[in-house]
Amino acid sequence: MQSLKFPLAMPRSLSKFFAFSTSLFKDARDYQIIFLSVFFLLGVCTRDWSLKPIAIAITFATCWLTQICMVSIFPSASPQKHERWLSLKSATITALGLSLLLRSDSYSAIAVASFLAIASKFIFRTNSKHWFNPANFGIVVVLLLDSFVGNSHAWVSNGQWGEDSLYALVFLGLGGIVLKKVGRWDTSFMFLASYAILEGLRNLWLGWTWDVLAHRLTSGSLLLFALFMITDPRSIPNAKAARLIWALAIAVLAFIFRNVFFNADAMFYALFLISPLTVLCDRIWNAPRFQWLPKRYSALPSN
Amino acid sequence: MKKFLIWMRVLLSTALACLVVFAYSPAVFAFCGFYVSQADASLFNKASQVVIARDGKRTVLTMANDYQGDVKDFALVVPVPVLLKKEQVRIGEQKIIDRLDSFSAPRLVEYFDSDPCARYEAYDRVTLGATRSSAAPATEAKTRGGNYQVTIEAKFAVGEYDILILSAKDSDGLESWLIDNDYKIPQGAKEILQPYIRQNMKFFVAKVNIAELNKTGSQSLRPLMMAYESPKFMLPIRLGMLNANGDQDLLVYILSPKGQAEVANYRTIKVPSGDDIPVYVKNEFGDFYKSMFKTSYEKEGRKVAFLEYAWDMSSCDPCSAEPLSQEELRKAGVFWIGAPDINTSSGGRIRRPIPFPSNDGRVFVTRLHIRYNRDKFPEDLTFKETSNQESFQGRYVLRHAFKGETSCDAGKEYQRSLRPRFEKEAKTLARLTGWNIADIRRKMNIASLPTPVEKPFWENIWK
Repeated sequence: MQSLKFPLAMPRSLSKFFAFSTSLFKDARDYQIIFLSVFFLLGVCTRDWSLKPIAIAITFATCWLTQICMVSIFPSASPQKHERWLSLKSATITALGLSLLLRSDSYSAIAVASFLAIASKFIFRTNSKHWFNPANFGIVVVLLLDSFVGNSHAWVSNGQWGEDSLYALVFLGLGGIVLKKVGRWDTSFMFLASYAILEGLRNLWLGWTWDVLAHRLTSGSLLLFALFMITDPRSIPNAKAARLIWALAIAVLAFIFRNVFFNADAMFYALFLISPLTVLCDRIWNAPRFQWLPKRYSALPSN
Repeated sequence: MKKFLIWMRVLLSTALACLVVFAYSPAVFAFCGFYVSQADASLFNKASQVVIARDGKRTVLTMANDYQGDVKDFALVVPVPVLLKKEQVRIGEQKIIDRLDSFSAPRLVEYFDSDPCARYEAYDRVTLGATRSSAAPATEAKTRGGNYQVTIEAKFAVGEYDILILSAKDSDGLESWLIDNDYKIPQGAKEILQPYIRQNMKFFVAKVNIAELNKTGSQSLRPLMMAYESPKFMLPIRLGMLNANGDQDLLVYILSPKGQAEVANYRTIKVPSGDDIPVYVKNEFGDFYKSMFKTSYEKEGRKVAFLEYAWDMSSCDPCSAEPLSQEELRKAGVFWIGAPDINTSSGGRIRRPIPFPSNDGRVFVTRLHIRYNRDKFPEDLTFKETSNQESFQGRYVLRHAFKGETSCDAGKEYQRSLRPRFEKEAKTLARLTGWNIADIRRKMNIASLPTPVEKPFWENIWK
């Protein structure tokens, strides 16, 4: 974008607009928001989801409100006001993630999941890195409440995205752009590759035909998870080596949960358990922390 | 692109392999397992019904099949997740499955337009949905030892069935064992048996004891029930596809204390429901439902499971059949409700709550209709129970026009409104079923209705 040469006689207002748009897309979160929204709309339009507009509204409202409250309660070292507002982008991504994955017939469960998701970022943190992926934390906690405490009326519809290879391509394509922007594509790649190898070996050992494997791997929910959930730069290790090991661990655990314990939500639990190891990984492997915005846009990280 | 080509090749070769299997298999089997013919009987078994009552890991599975061939020719082979003992297997009642079927079947609802000249008073009536009649069947076989690496883990008789629980070390041995014991198994069974053996699953082999069957006085076989504890919430469908002739229909009734169930590894969508359709469909509801199902199935790419009904068993609105009593539910495998109530059944039609002992005695029924074939359903079905309490039913509305004299202004207005309304119903029906709209219009006799005359808007203003 910087190489764009504007005509000399461009009106001032227009140049301001361009300046704004270039700064807008400097932030990788913008891409994430856009692409998650695209999937969301795609899902609403082409898939028969039991999406309730009120539930979506509650998700967004709770996420934003919690973010604002939490930013006030736990002020970051950054005195910059715009930083606070920018952190709402992260809340938006979490809200989109929750709306895409979590299903519920109770509004309170949705509100609880949204609140927990955002609150987890502020409560469980070390050196401004989160222990958990916020959306994952929200989902897993309400799922656990649902199965162990009583009906909290929340579930994940694993089959909802179908197994269309066309979707797989769209996911891969668009996800790739976001990941390249965020610079954490290696995590997704490692996770998908190791998971595919494990499933492939299982398939080979069992003697199923290969379309069984293809069916398992093209699941939309799996790709959504791999491309958008385990890539959150604020909750994954900074060093590349650490990230690769971390992603491998998630793949192995997800594989075990799914094929030994027959848990359909295996990957969410796997990420939930492995995620806090990020802190440990960062201690062992030193690497510069991820910044949402390039240096000149932000002095300090947002939430 | 290269990946795509490889995939295409895999798909093509699988399709070809299927063709070969179909072409050479003389018998047609279906279901989670397959029926094994011991004679060259021509079998046709395309719709199966399965009831799964599940709470946690505890499962009671009931299988019923609408096989109509000679019972002495058949045996059933189903992979099961655990070793079953005699006490875990029993005979179910076809009547109970029929009750579940009629309770949850897609239904027609009729409304009669009131006299437009009189005060509005509508009432509705419920017509029974298309119910399926199911029958079942089975076999005779010799059991022999031998070096097959097949272990007969259990051997017992339940009702008219002689049952063997087999475990095997490898599929060659199992295949040879089945062949040597006069089971005529479909070609390619070996490859499909292998994954189940590797998954440490056992094989439930049932055949019919004709003498016992005669004692029951029934020509058809009764459903088989098995109770077991396993984290696997799945139905093996691959074996049944082996010698299947095209698409097979499977109705799964999942009874859960928690809420709706869904298929975890395929999309689950709702059947189209709630539309107003022409009243003549009342006489051909079966055809209508079949065509509509087929149209939706094609539209969704033939790879989804359809939700036909989801409801808490304690009520229904409208009821196409009386909700199942506690005793009937227990017979359907619902083990978490208390002993049968003495004062069961009979009573009102709509919203008749059944007094359950406690919240734990809740039963939520989900009816899934899965039409599967080898192509689009490569993987066995796995299910998932959710706490979703949303009710759903396949419901189609017939609105009968008022037949009496309508001479008042409102009556004339009403008459004029009929044609557009019928036209809309015709279009809905055509869209849902893919039927020819001209035929529909003819059957509805739309042409005989007065054409609505477009009156200029000002005509009514200065009256």
